[in-house]
Amino acid sequence: MADAEAADTALAASGDGSAFERLYRTHVARVHSLVRRMLDADEADDLTQDVFVRAWQKLGTFRGESAFGTWLHRLAVNVVLARRKTLGVERGRFHGGEDPLAGMPGPRETPEMSLDFEEALARLPDGARQVFVLHDVAGYRHEEIARMLGVVPGTSKSQLHHARMALRRHLDR
Amino acid sequence: MNDQWTDRLSEYVDGELARGERAALEAHLAACADCRATLEELRKVVARAKALEDRPPGVDLWPGIDARLTPGRRPAGSPLGRPGVSRDATPPRLPWRVSFSAPQLIAASVALMLLAGGGVWLALHGRRTTPPVQEATRPPAPAQVQNAGWRSGIDAAVAQLEHALEKSQGRLDTSTVRVVRQNLAVIDKAIGEAQRALKADPGNAYLNLHLADTMRRKIELLRRANALAAAQS
Repeated sequence: MADAEAADTALAASGDGSAFERLYRTHVARVHSLVRRMLDADEADDLTQDVFVRAWQKLGTFRGESAFGTWLHRLAVNVVLARRKTLGVERGRFHGGEDPLAGMPGPRETPEMSLDFEEALARLPDGARQVFVLHDVAGYRHEEIARMLGVVPGTSKSQLHHARMALRRHLDR
Repeated sequence: MNDQWTDRLSEYVDGELARGERAALEAHLAACADCRATLEELRKVVARAKALEDRPPGVDLWPGIDARLTPGRRPAGSPLGRPGVSRDATPPRLPWRVSFSAPQLIAASVALMLLAGGGVWLALHGRRTTPPVQEATRPPAPAQVQNAGWRSGIDAAVAQLEHALEKSQGRLDTSTVRVVRQNLAVIDKAIGEAQRALKADPGNAYLNLHLADTMRRKIELLRRANALAAAQS
């Protein structure tokens, strides 16, 4: 499988669109889910297309030091962050015990009205949401996240903790 | 519930506290039921995040991507229209995963010989002032083609396919095997020539592109031969 993907990556880099389509089929769910969680469901389709077009254009810079999927995922993160800058999305942060999901019913109170975990994630303030997705879902380290977002690692840790605290009430569904 | 330790619970979950802090927090946890409950919930959040399943988009996004890779150059429904494939100087390619006949292979080998020989001749005889025909959106090739990582990936794929063909070629008729071997010999010769030329001129963009393209052809030929053998079983 890894060999087949390495071959497809090499073929795509030499201009083989069929190989690139196979790479797309393999990775589109992961990329689309990342974009949807970090940005907005309404933008996920467009941004996912942008990610793959960008990947095609930048395949020449891929040096095979990591798996293609890892490289693509990082590229997707960069595309999303650039998009957020373009949109001028304000970087939301928690302050002093604020609960961003306050008022939203959790599963334990009213199951029929409760937020799905993914919906609750989508309602987090932008900063906490990005850090949570990058750290707990995608597996990046705080130092990497801090570099991506232009913050210090301590801020990343703080945002992550507040995101987790806010999501506790939306676990059971 | 919000004591001095609450804000450190995530770091504890992630194993990021220093030894002394960890010991102090654990001592606190032993006496604080609220913090123990919160800790358990945080662990569940982390586990829930890791268990989130990736979902594909509701619609197939490939046509839109495909259109942006080679705008306006794709005959509808044609395999030739795939991005990076519709090069003006390239002979028609066979549909993907479709078996082929011996005459088709012979025709392909002739075209390939012309392309390979002509391409290398051009590169070796100082025609670099004429840039090669490339699609505007085609990924830049020279840098990565020179990279050992790419070479090793391609070499591994070739070796795997050659091994598979060795095992399965008994299912092909003799004339088909002969034509496949002839094609491979032509391609290997073209690869050898390109590699020798690159030794003299490593930065030659056309040669790098030509080498990558020829290697791609070899992989495709091996894949098709394997598919043909599999279809005979």
